[in-house]
Order: sequence, then C-alpha cells, then structure tokens
Amino acid sequence: MKNLRIGVYVCNCGTNIAKIIDAEAVAKYASNLPNVAIAKTYKYMCSNPGQEMIAQDIKDNELDRVVVAACSPNMHERTFRHALRMAGLNQYLLEMANIREQCSWVHKDRKAATKKAMALVHGAVLRVEKHEALESIDVDMSPNSLVIGGGIAGMTTALELADAGNSVHLVEKSDQLGGNVGRVDLTAPYYYSATDLLTDRITRTKSHKKIQVYLQSKVTDLSGFVGNFTANIIHLNGVPESEKTPVEVQIGNVAICTGYKEFDASRVTHYGYGKLPNVITSFELERMLRAGKVETKEGKTPKYVAIIHCVGSRNKEFHTYCSRVCCMTALKYAHEIKSANPECYVSDVYIDMNAFGKGHEDFYLQSSQAKTLFLMYDKENRPVIHKAEPSDDCEMLIEVHEKLSGEHIEIPADLIVLMVGMEAREDAHEIAHLAGISQDKDGWFIESHPKLEPVATTTDGVFIAGTCVAPKDIPDTVAQARAAAARILARIAKGKIEVDAIYSEVNKELCSGCRFCNDLCPYNAIEFIEEEGQSHVISALCKACGVCVAACPSSAIKGRHFTDDQVLAQIDGLFSKVEYELEEQPVK
Amino acid sequence: MAIRVNPSFIDDLDRFGAEDVQLCYQCGDCSTVCSHADDIFKFPRKSMRQLQMGLEQKIETTLEPWLCYYCGQCSEQCPREADPGETMMSLRRWLISRYDFTGIARQFFKSRIREILSITVVALLTGAFLMFHVLSGGSIHIYDGEGAFLPSPFIHTFDLTIGSVLAVFLLINAVRMWYFTMIRGMSIPVPWWLYLKEFFELPLHFFTQKMYAECENKNEHQVHMPWLIHLGLMLGYVTMLVLVMVFIEPLQAGPEIHWSIHIFGYLATIGLSIGTIYFIRHRIKKENYIQYKKSHSTDWIFVVMLFFIVITGILQHIFHRTGLYEWANITYVIHLMAVTPWLLRMPFSKWAHMIYRPLAMYFAAIQKTAYARQDDLDDSLSVTIK
Ligand SMILES: Cc1cc2nc3c(=O)[nH]c(=O)nc-3n(C[C@H](O)[C@H](O)[C@H](O)COP(=O)(O)OP(=O)(O)OC[C@H]3O[C@@H](n4cnc5c(N)ncnc54)[C@H](O)[C@@H]3O)c2cc1C
Ligand code: SF4
Ligand code: SF4
Ligand code: SF4
Ligand code: SF4
Repeated sequence: MKNLRIGVYVCNCGTNIAKIIDAEAVAKYASNLPNVAIAKTYKYMCSNPGQEMIAQDIKDNELDRVVVAACSPNMHERTFRHALRMAGLNQYLLEMANIREQCSWVHKDRKAATKKAMALVHGAVLRVEKHEALESIDVDMSPNSLVIGGGIAGMTTALELADAGNSVHLVEKSDQLGGNVGRVDLTAPYYYSATDLLTDRITRTKSHKKIQVYLQSKVTDLSGFVGNFTANIIHLNGVPESEKTPVEVQIGNVAICTGYKEFDASRVTHYGYGKLPNVITSFELERMLRAGKVETKEGKTPKYVAIIHCVGSRNKEFHTYCSRVCCMTALKYAHEIKSANPECYVSDVYIDMNAFGKGHEDFYLQSSQAKTLFLMYDKENRPVIHKAEPSDDCEMLIEVHEKLSGEHIEIPADLIVLMVGMEAREDAHEIAHLAGISQDKDGWFIESHPKLEPVATTTDGVFIAGTCVAPKDIPDTVAQARAAAARILARIAKGKIEVDAIYSEVNKELCSGCRFCNDLCPYNAIEFIEEEGQSHVISALCKACGVCVAACPSSAIKGRHFTDDQVLAQIDGLFSKVEYELEEQPVK
Repeated sequence: MAIRVNPSFIDDLDRFGAEDVQLCYQCGDCSTVCSHADDIFKFPRKSMRQLQMGLEQKIETTLEPWLCYYCGQCSEQCPREADPGETMMSLRRWLISRYDFTGIARQFFKSRIREILSITVVALLTGAFLMFHVLSGGSIHIYDGEGAFLPSPFIHTFDLTIGSVLAVFLLINAVRMWYFTMIRGMSIPVPWWLYLKEFFELPLHFFTQKMYAECENKNEHQVHMPWLIHLGLMLGYVTMLVLVMVFIEPLQAGPEIHWSIHIFGYLATIGLSIGTIYFIRHRIKKENYIQYKKSHSTDWIFVVMLFFIVITGILQHIFHRTGLYEWANITYVIHLMAVTPWLLRMPFSKWAHMIYRPLAMYFAAIQKTAYARQDDLDDSLSVTIK
C-alpha cells in the first residue's frame, strides 16, 4: 500500500471539548502517528471556516484520509463528508472520533480525558487507513403512496399528496373515515364542530380521483425499500384472512397515521367506572353533548358535575406521560355543561392545568369566568369516589386532598366525567413490525429525531404523523400530517433517492443458504432468493446495524464501511499506549 | 374528616359583591403585596380559595377579612383581575351578616330594595311617633325650654332607648364573633391571660387605625389620604355619638351652649362632612383608588344617609342659632327620622365594622401569641405559597 496522507482535525467545540481535553496535546499526539501528514485544532470545526480549512488542506497537502475528532457522527458526519466532497475526496474516507459526547461531556479528570481522547483519535487514524472509497446508490422513486389510517391525520396526508397529482392508497381499518375526531362534538378551544371539520375532508377523500380508499381493510405485508415498496392490502370482512387474496400495490413512500385509542377507565378501580352508573368517560360525555342532552342514567339533569383529569395519564401505575388534549377538553365540557344548564355547578379536579397551546390560556380564563370550581390534587394522591348518603343533595362524593387550600375535601357530584388519556393502539406493534419502525416504552412510534425529524422514522420512506407518534390535538396532528406529505412530495419531486453506501453484502461464494440472517434483520432487509438458494441484502433497506454480519455462521456477510479489518484496526488504536502529563496552566 | 365543598356558595357571595373571585388561580401575588398578610393570616389568597370552594365554616371562623383595610394594592397586582380587595370587602359584609343572629343583615346586604324599604318604614314610624308626641304638648314655635316642640329630656330618653337596643344587638353579635373566631376557629387552646395581655390592642386600633396607615406605605400615589379621612370620619362619628347619647341636654340647650361642648360638636361635624363628601366624590369618580371603583348598594346607602344626617344636623343648628325655630323644629324631626333607622341599622350594616374590626385586631393579636407559644406549629398539610 502506498503511503497515506492523513489529516487530523481536533475540534475545541468552543469550550465543550477544550474545557476538559487538552486539544492541542491531542493534535500533537496525532501528528506523531504514522501516515499523519497534518494535525490541527480549531475552535469550531463544523463552522464554515472550519470546513473550508479542511477542504483547503486536502487540496494543498494532497490528503487522502481525514479524521475529525469532535462530536458524535450523528451530529456532524454529514457536515464533514460534505467538506471532503468539496475538496474532491470520496466522502467515505472520513472517520470521526467522538471526543465530546463520549469523552469531554462525561469526564471530569482532565488528564484521563485527554488520554482517552488520544486513544480515540489513534483508533480513528488506524481505522481510516483501511477505509475504502464507496459510492452511494440512486434509486427510482415511485410517485404513489400508501397511507395507513383514515383519521384526520391520514386524510390530510392523503389529500395533500393527491392534490399534488399523486396516487394514494388509503387503508382504514374501520368501516368509516374520520377516526376519533368523529366521536367528538365541539372542539376546544374555538368550538368548531368536529363534524364540520370532518365532513368536507371525508367527502373530498372519498371522491378524489387520485385517492383509492380501502375501508375495513388492513395492510398485511410491506416489502421493498424507499421508492419501491410493495404493500399487500386485504379486506377484513367475509372469508378468513388466510384464504384472502390481497391487493398488491406499488408505492414509493408510506405514511403511518394510525392514531390512538382511549385509556380503559375501568382499570382505575377507585373511580368505580363500570360499577357506578353515573361515572362516565369523556367520550361518553361527547356522545351526550352530540345528542344535546347531558343527564344522569336516571334521566335527571345533574346539579353537580365533576370532571376528573389525568385518568390513566401522568400516573406511575398506567402511563406516565401527559395526554395533552384532555385539559382543554375538560374546560370545553365545563363550558358546555354550564351554558346548557346555568343551574349546574361544575367542579374541575385537576393536577396541573395544561394550557400550552394557542388560545388555551384564554380558554382557561373563560372557564374561570363561567365559575368552574377548579380543585387541584396531587399526582401521588388520587381522588376516590364514594356513593353519597341518602340525606345528601348529591349522588356521589369525591374525596381528595386539595392542594391549594391544603384541605381534605369531599366534592358533591351527580355526574362524574373521567378524562381518559390516550394510549397506543394494541395493534401498533404489528404496524411497527410491518414497516420496520420502533416503538417507545409506551408503544408510540419513534421519530428519527424528536426535534429535527419529527415525522421521519429510521426506515427510509416510512413517515409517521398524528397521534400514533404521541398524544396531540387536532392542529398539531394536521400540522404533522402536512409535514409528512411535504416530505414525501419533496422526494417524489426529486424522482430519485440517494441511498447511503454503508450496507451489508452477502458474499455469494460463502453463503450456504442457511437463512439464519433472514429473520434476524430488524429492518427486513434480507430476502432469500429461492432460485439461487442464497440470501441477499436489499441495500436500500439495510441500516448497517451489523446483526447479520455477526450472526452469519459462514462469515458470508460483510458490513461495508464496518469491515472486520476496519473495526479491528480501530480497536488496536484504542488500546495503544498513551502518554500525557498535565501542563501547568491547563485552561486556555 | 373531609370538609364538604359547596360550589354554590360563590353565587351567594356574588350578592355581597365578590363578583370576580372565580377568576383567581391562586398565584399568591396578592398575599405577597399585602402589608398585613403573614405566615398565620394568609389572606387574600387563602380567603379567595375558601370562598371559591364554599368552605363556609372555615370563613366564618377566620379573622382574616377584618385584617384587610382595603388599600387595593392586591387588586392592582392580581394578574387575573380577580379583585381580591373587593372580595375581602365582600367577605366582611358576609361576616357581618353571619355574626348577626337576627338574619336582618343578610337581607339588607342581599337586597337593596328591602334595605331601603325598611329604612323608609322606620323613618316614617319615627316621624309619626314624634308628631304624635308633639301634638300632645309642644309648640312648633318653641325650640327649647318650656313648651318646647321636642324638649331635650325627651330626646335624651329617646336616644338612650335606641342606644340600648343598639348596644344589645351589637353585644350579642360581638359575643358571637368571639365564639366563632376564638373558640371554633382555634385549633389550640387560648389561655385566658392572653386576653388581658393583649387588651391594649383594642383601643389602640380603634383610635389610630394604624394598620390602615401601614397599608399605604407601599402605595405610590397619595400618601395617607384615605387613612386620614377615614380616621377623621370615624373620630367625628364617635364624638358625635357620645355627644348625642350623653350630652344631648347641654347640646340642645338654648343660646348658651358651653364652649367645650360646642368645640367638640364643630370638630365632629368637620370630620363627618369632609369624610362623607370625600367618599361620595371618590365613589362617583371611581378614580385614583381601586377601593372606590366598585360600590355595593350598601356602600352608597351608608355614605348618602350619613351625609343626609350631617346636613340636616347642620341646618337644624343654623336655624336654631338664627332664631328660625319653626324651621329648626322641622329639620330636627327630619334629622331624627334619618338618625333612628341609621342607628338601629348599625348592627346589621357596614357601620358594624367600627366594632368588629378593632375586636378582630385584638383577637388576632391573641391568636398570634397563642400560635407562637405553640411550639409544634403544624403547618405540614398546607402548601405555603406565602
Ligand atoms: C375525549 C377527547 C376529546 C377530544 N377533543 C378534542 C378537541 O376538542 N380539539 C382537538 O384539537 N383535539 C381533540 N381531541 C384529540 C383528537 O381526537 C386527536 O387529535 C385526533 O383524533 C388525532 O387524529 P389521528 O388521525 O392522529 O388519530 P385517530 O383519530 O385515532 O385516527 C386514526 C385512524 O386510523 C385507523 N387505524 C388505526 N389502526 C389502523 C390499522 N392498523 N390499519 C388501518 N387503519 C387503522 C383508525 O381506525 C382511525 O380511523 C380529543 C381527544 C379525546 C380523547
Ligand atoms: S392534558 Fe391535562 S388532563 Fe390530560 S393528561 Fe395532561 S395534564 Fe392530565
Ligand atoms: S446489517 Fe442489519 S440491517 Fe443490514 S441486512 Fe444485516 S441485519 Fe439487516
Ligand atoms: S393575585 Fe389574584 S389570582 Fe393571584 S392569588 Fe391573588 S386573587 Fe388569586
Ligand atoms: S386590600 Fe390591601 S389590606 Fe386588603 S388584602 Fe388587599 S393588599 Fe391586603
């Protein structure tokens, strides 16, 4: 092998790195390693001047490998790959040493941290020597899309895509479109009728030339990769599932909008839901409001109505998260009940008033103006519902420790509304498995970055929107649906998609066709080619996790950019002997 | 034992003037700004809460509303415009009605019509009684001495009778107040000698209203004005009450009223006139001081009636001094027609605060000492916002 010329760039990250690590000493250490032609430090390597410096060095010094010792590659690998491309160097000839998240941020001892950084850089240098120039691949993008779930999120995504002239297959499990919004009466905080919001959308979705709606259907299989998926859709009624012939559709992208289901209130025993007739859930109240009559099971107009927040939410026993919409929905009930019957007294029993959104704080004020009695309880000390004595002027009593007054109180009630939270649907894991995406501990689908990529997933071409990601209200759901549509439209407009060159490959010489790897791949990226009797990795789907590489008994699978010799060289570097003594005045 | 929340209480208090209490969201700003709230008396925030929740038993046994002098700073601060100052005022009205064993106060506070009607009836009865008495002896041309239209010994007896009725009512109500606040309202025993130890508080607060003056230390606008006027009005009122009850004979006597009595009479009149005019003006203008922005019907009846009594009193005095005896006698009858319902109304009206407030200050001082004595002041259950 010809002599390599490696450039090593140690970033200070302002003080993030330099505070703990002696960056200059690290650069100096690197400069003494074999093949290292140049080693530098810089305040912010990811800044434009930083990138330009690297690009310029590559040209001026004929560098053919680059190591950047900085933050996590998750953060800036793309940035530095770009710098390499600018200088005409293959972008895979870069290696990053993470000396921030994995070093300066987690250590306090300057000497030890600096030595660790040196070892990390050493590993990176040895590894980058083994890097190969790789080419990313372009694949065609099918302009058709699949939308799973026909709630407000699904319909919005579908309409947005179809209005731009693309075909959409919309698959809905139930026998009608609309999802949970269809069960709501008026919406908080502006009292738009949910029916009005939906009707227009449903009619347009159904009649849209570009949208094919599949009611009472589900997706049973999703194969292929971004731009070229194949989905199987079956109708749920009639013949047993196994005997059905699925409809097969070709699509480029998938939007998952499967929504949520309400928490089952009977799981909270101290509320007596299911036993006490006049303890109802929010959805039952919605039904009453739609019918225009709020009354007890006995047909009487209640004098005292109590609303209990956070049922199943913000609760260690059930779900620790906040369901986000129920606070405002509760206020909406307080309003509607009071305006329908001014003689009625509404108590709102809450933990915290979650009025974060636009118009919400004003809505809260309006409920106060309408004389709603707000009573605050503690998360650890939930209310308990009892039947009242015959001598009382109410049917039930809610016993609770009221936080703001410090009193142990009982609240009279004839009708009690439980604000049930949202939870992930039972079958969400099926969808997750189908599409190769992950769920968090509560069952919600995980976005690829919670801040910067809220609708993308780790599977390219699969997007998530609405309440299947986490609880949210209609405006947020619609915003996500449109965001997902925009992401898909941008890809369709491009026509092609670049797939990272890092993936695994099966060596046909070695593969024995044992099919071990087929089921292990968490991304369904391995197909078995019957004619050849061998496994094949679909490069566009592979995430380069390495599971198959490790599992293959014939060592037939190679992870590109993560080859054995690359990884072993890196390990060698990590275990190299590092000398470093603290200087007199460490902080510059 | 859990206390029952009463969501309908807030509607009841609405009639007493607490129209905005529902807006309070318990931020505690009001208590922070109030000069008188402390660790033991956490008003107005706590009072707002108790009122919202309808904890009648709690409010009935608390002294807190009386510790507020309505400087209005809390209402200025409140981010929700819940008007805590006015709420404290309303709670005082409600407490007056609670201390009152007859239930009359409640009727007056809740219905303006009822109050005006009963004042009119008592005035007319007084007028009828006076005319009836006069017709059996006196002459309208004679103001004083032999054959006088309203001879001073008769007026004296008349005053004392009304005064005693008044005193009986007030005393019973004051005892009720003591029972509510010092017996039912205390979770710890109060040793008897504390009543002696703190006794000086009673006259101190009565005659200086020093807490009101402290209130204004924080107020940027005008220093001490409402306090001075209020003090002047109150001292004028007390002086006049003493003069009328005890010294009516020398006061009403012919041309030679003794200078000492004369001086007091004039001083009291000045205090009363300036006070009533000042308050009427501010209640009409609704400017400068937040405490005058909202006026309950009873506030109006209070100042207007007092003003009327002062005016008729002055006129009667002028007519008497200028020898227009017929006119003096007529204004005297009118004056008394206003005074009688005024005095009889006292235990059931805003005026009762003259008694209750200093009593409350006295009781509060006792309570504080009692709590301070209690080593294990157990405050663990409540959330201390202030
Ligand atoms: C009581 C209550 C009141 C509310 N009131 C308001 C309000 O006033 N204002 C407001 O902004 N928000 C309100 N919300 C929130 C609102 O319901 C949600 O924001 C909204 O429903 C989210 O829409 P979605 O499309 O994400 O999910 P969903 O409405 O749940 O729709 C999902 C759809 O996907 C379908 N589906 C699920 N799984 C599959 C599958 N495997 N295959 C095919 N189809 C599938 C479902 O059948 C459903 O039709 C309220 C929520 C509750 C609980
Ligand atoms: S939105 Fe409100 S009621 Fe719903 S879980 Fe969150 S805090 Fe509880
Ligand atoms: S590396 Fe991971 S994602 Fe790629 S084929 Fe192997 S198991 Fe699947
Ligand atoms: S400042 Fe207003 S809202 Fe805050 S506690 Fe006082 S009255 Fe309530
Ligand atoms: S009006 Fe003044 S004295 Fe009364 S509670 Fe408010 S701040 Fe305190």
